[in-house]
Amino acid sequence: MTSSSRFLLGRRSLIAGAASVGLAGTADAQSPQRGGTMVMIVQPEPATLAAYLSVAGNIAPVTTQIYEGLVTYDWSLKPAPKLAKSWEIAPDGLSITFHLQDGVTFHNGAKFTSADVQYAFMQVLKKVHPRAPVVLADLTAVDTPDPLTAVFRLSHPAPYLMMSLSGYDAPILCKSVFENVDPAANPTANKPIGTGPFKFGSWERGQYIRLDRNPNYWQNGLPYLDRIIARFIADSSTRSAALETGEAHYAAFSAVNYSDVARLKANPMLDTTSKGYEMFSGISEIELNEHRPPFDKREVRQAIAYAIDRKFIIDNIQYGFGKPATGPISSTFAASGLYTDDVLRFDVPDRIAIANKLLDDAGLKRGEGGMRFATTLEVNSFGQQWQRQAEYLKQALAVIGIDLTLRSEDTGAWLRRVYTNYDYGMSEPFFSNLSDPVIGVQRQYVTNQIRKGVDFVNNTFYSNPEVDTLFTAGAQEIDPAKRAEIYHKIQKILVTDSPVIWLTEIQYVTVFNRKLHDATTGPLGTYSAFERTWIEH
Amino acid sequence: MSLLSRFARNRLAVVGALALLLVLVMALAAPLLYPAGAFALVGPPTQPPGGTFPLGTDTLGRDVAAGIVWGARTSLIVSVAATLGAVVLGVLTGAFAGYYRGITDTAIMRVTEFFQTIPSFILAILLVAVLSPAVTSEILAIAVVSWPGIARLVRGEFASLGGREFVLATAGLGAGDARIVFRHILPNCASPLVAVGSLLVASAILFESGLSFLGLGDPNLMSWGLMISAGREVLRSAWWICTFPGIAILATVLSINLVGDGLNEAFNPGLRDR
Repeated sequence: MTSSSRFLLGRRSLIAGAASVGLAGTADAQSPQRGGTMVMIVQPEPATLAAYLSVAGNIAPVTTQIYEGLVTYDWSLKPAPKLAKSWEIAPDGLSITFHLQDGVTFHNGAKFTSADVQYAFMQVLKKVHPRAPVVLADLTAVDTPDPLTAVFRLSHPAPYLMMSLSGYDAPILCKSVFENVDPAANPTANKPIGTGPFKFGSWERGQYIRLDRNPNYWQNGLPYLDRIIARFIADSSTRSAALETGEAHYAAFSAVNYSDVARLKANPMLDTTSKGYEMFSGISEIELNEHRPPFDKREVRQAIAYAIDRKFIIDNIQYGFGKPATGPISSTFAASGLYTDDVLRFDVPDRIAIANKLLDDAGLKRGEGGMRFATTLEVNSFGQQWQRQAEYLKQALAVIGIDLTLRSEDTGAWLRRVYTNYDYGMSEPFFSNLSDPVIGVQRQYVTNQIRKGVDFVNNTFYSNPEVDTLFTAGAQEIDPAKRAEIYHKIQKILVTDSPVIWLTEIQYVTVFNRKLHDATTGPLGTYSAFERTWIEH
Repeated sequence: MSLLSRFARNRLAVVGALALLLVLVMALAAPLLYPAGAFALVGPPTQPPGGTFPLGTDTLGRDVAAGIVWGARTSLIVSVAATLGAVVLGVLTGAFAGYYRGITDTAIMRVTEFFQTIPSFILAILLVAVLSPAVTSEILAIAVVSWPGIARLVRGEFASLGGREFVLATAGLGAGDARIVFRHILPNCASPLVAVGSLLVASAILFESGLSFLGLGDPNLMSWGLMISAGREVLRSAWWICTFPGIAILATVLSINLVGDGLNEAFNPGLRDR
C-alpha cells in the first residue's frame, strides 16, 4: 500500500469523525528506525496461545506476530500476499491454487513447504478450529503437487474462504511440530512456533509475554522492532495511566475505557485511531422473540426500529464512538461492495408518528397509562454501557407505548435464557460481522441456524425461505458483482422484515504513543503482525 | 422524663431525626415532585448544577435531583424491609435459643457463627447474583446477612432475663411459653432492639448502595449506588453526577446513626450520665 492511498483513507475517517487529528501511524515522512521495544497492552491476559483452537479476542494480538496466514488483507479488504505470493481461483470456483513464498523457515529451523499448509488445514484447523464448521466445511482436500504449490479442493465454490486465510483466521502451523500429537494437547500451545516476524520469548503469567525479533524472517530487513512486550494490566485506569506515562505504547480494542479516550487524545504524547477494525465490524442490536406476540407482527418490529434514536445512543452512551447501523451488514463492507444503505430507513424526521401509526394499525391500542403492551428487555451483561443503553431503550419505547421491564443477569444466565430457553421478549446483544457475511451475518437470519443451545445464532425464529435461498446463493457466488447484488437484496428484505433492530456500528479505538509508527497497517489492525512497525528512540 | 424529651436532650440526635424526616418526605413525595420518574430523559446530557436542573443532569440527560428523590425511596424501601426481615428472623431464633438454652441454643448459635464468619457483603453479592438482581432479592440478601447480630443480641437478653423473678413468677402462675416470651420478656428487650435495629437500617442502606454500585441492583429502580456507578466514569468531567448521591448516602447514614445513638440514650438514661 502506498502512502498516498493510506493518506486518503485517513482523510475519509476524519470526515466520518472517527480518527483524531493527524494521521499518525500512517504516511510518515520519516524513514523507519531499526531496534527498540514496543509495549502493547493486551486485555485481559489470554488463557492460551493456541490460536488454532480458540478465537478469543485476546489471543490474536500475540499469536499473529508468530503465526502467519496464506494471505493478509489490504485496506480495500482484498486478499494480499503473505505466505502465498500468488493464487489462482479456478473458473468453476472448485479449486484454489496457492504459490508459496520460497525460503521461508519456521522458528524451529524447519523449512516451510506445501506439506505444512496441507497438514495445518486438513489435520488441525478443519478438525479443531471453532469456525471450521462454517468456513472450512467445503474444503475437501489440499493437494501438494510440489513443495511450493498447494491446491485447495472445494465441494462448492466458497468465495468467503479467501476472506478467512489470515494469520488470525487460519494460522499456518509446522507439520513436524503437530504430527502424531493431538492438536488439542500440543506442547507448543503456549510457546508457539510459526513463520512470523517475531518469535515467542517467554510468558510471565499475570505480567507479560515477551516476543523477540526473528532474525531469519523471510521478508528481508524486517521486522524493525527488536522486541514486543504484551503487558497485562487488570485495572482500566492503570492501563490509561501506563499510556500517559509512556510505559506502554499501544492499546487496542476496548483496553482503554471510552470515557478516558477524550482525555488521552488531548495528551500531546498520544494519538488515537479507529482504523484497523474493518474486519470485525460489531453491530449492536435488539433481538425480538417472534414466538412472543406481538413481535410476530412486522409492523410492531418496524415501529420499534423507528422509535430509537441511534444518534442519541452514540453521543450519550458510546461517548461519540460509533455510527448508526442501517441493517444487518456493516458499512465497512462498502469497500467490497456488499453493503448498501438503499434499504428502508428508520432515521426519518417523523419517525415517532410513523411508529405510533404502525402500532395503531397492528391493533395495539393505548391502554391504561398510555401503554400498549409490556415486555421484558434482557440487559447485556458485558458492561455498564449496555445497562445505560437498556435504560435509554426503556424511555424511548415508552414514548410509543411499549412498557419495558429490564432484567439483568450474569452472562451465563443471560445467554442460557435467550439462546437455550428462549424465555425472553427482547435482548440487546452485539454481533460481529467478521470478514464475510457468510461467517458473521448469515448465522443470525437463516432457518437452519435456529439451533437451541448455541449462543449468538438465530434465536428470533425468523424464517424466510427467500432469505435462506439468497444466503445459500451468496455463499457460493464467485462473481463479485453478482454476489454484491445478492447481499443487497438480502439487506433490503431483512431491513423491511426487521427480525432484529440494528442499533449502532460499534467503533473501537486504538490509543498509541506518537513515537510508534506504522502500527496500524491494514484492516486486521492488532490482529496482524507488527513487522513494519517502528519506534523512535 | 418522657422518652421524647430524653431523646431531645441529645441535640445531634434531633438534627439527625430532622434530616431523616427530610429524606422520608422526599421518598414519599417522589411521585409528586418528579412524576415522570427518575429515568426520564428531561434535558441535555451533563448539564452542570444550577439553572433548570439544580443538581445538574447525568450522561443521558436525566435530572440528578429526580434521581436523588427517587433513590431515597428505593434506599428506604429496601433498607426498612430488609431490617424488618432481619429483626423478625433474629428475634425468633434468638428468643428460641435464649429461652430454651441447651442443645437448641448451641445449634442456633453455631448457625449464627457460621453466617458471621462469612464476609457479609460477599455473601450478599452471591445471593443477589444467584437470585438475579431485583428488589426482592436485594431485600432477602440483606436480611439474610443481617439477622445473626440481632439473634445474638436477643439471645443474650433472653438468657439474662429468663431467670429473673418476674419470669419465674409468671411461669409459676401457669403462663405458657409463648405468653412468657412475647408478653413478658420481649417487651423488656425492646430498647436495645430498637437501637440496634435503627443502626441496621443504616448498614442496609450501605449494602443496597454497594450492590447497586456493582450493577446488582434492580435495573428498573433508581438508586444512589447506581447513580454513583454510572457517573464514576465521568467523574473528572462531570463531578456532580456522583457527588450528590454520595452526599445523600453519607447524610442519610449519618443521620440514622445519630438517631440510633439518641434512641439508645433515651432508652438507657443512665448511659448519658455515666
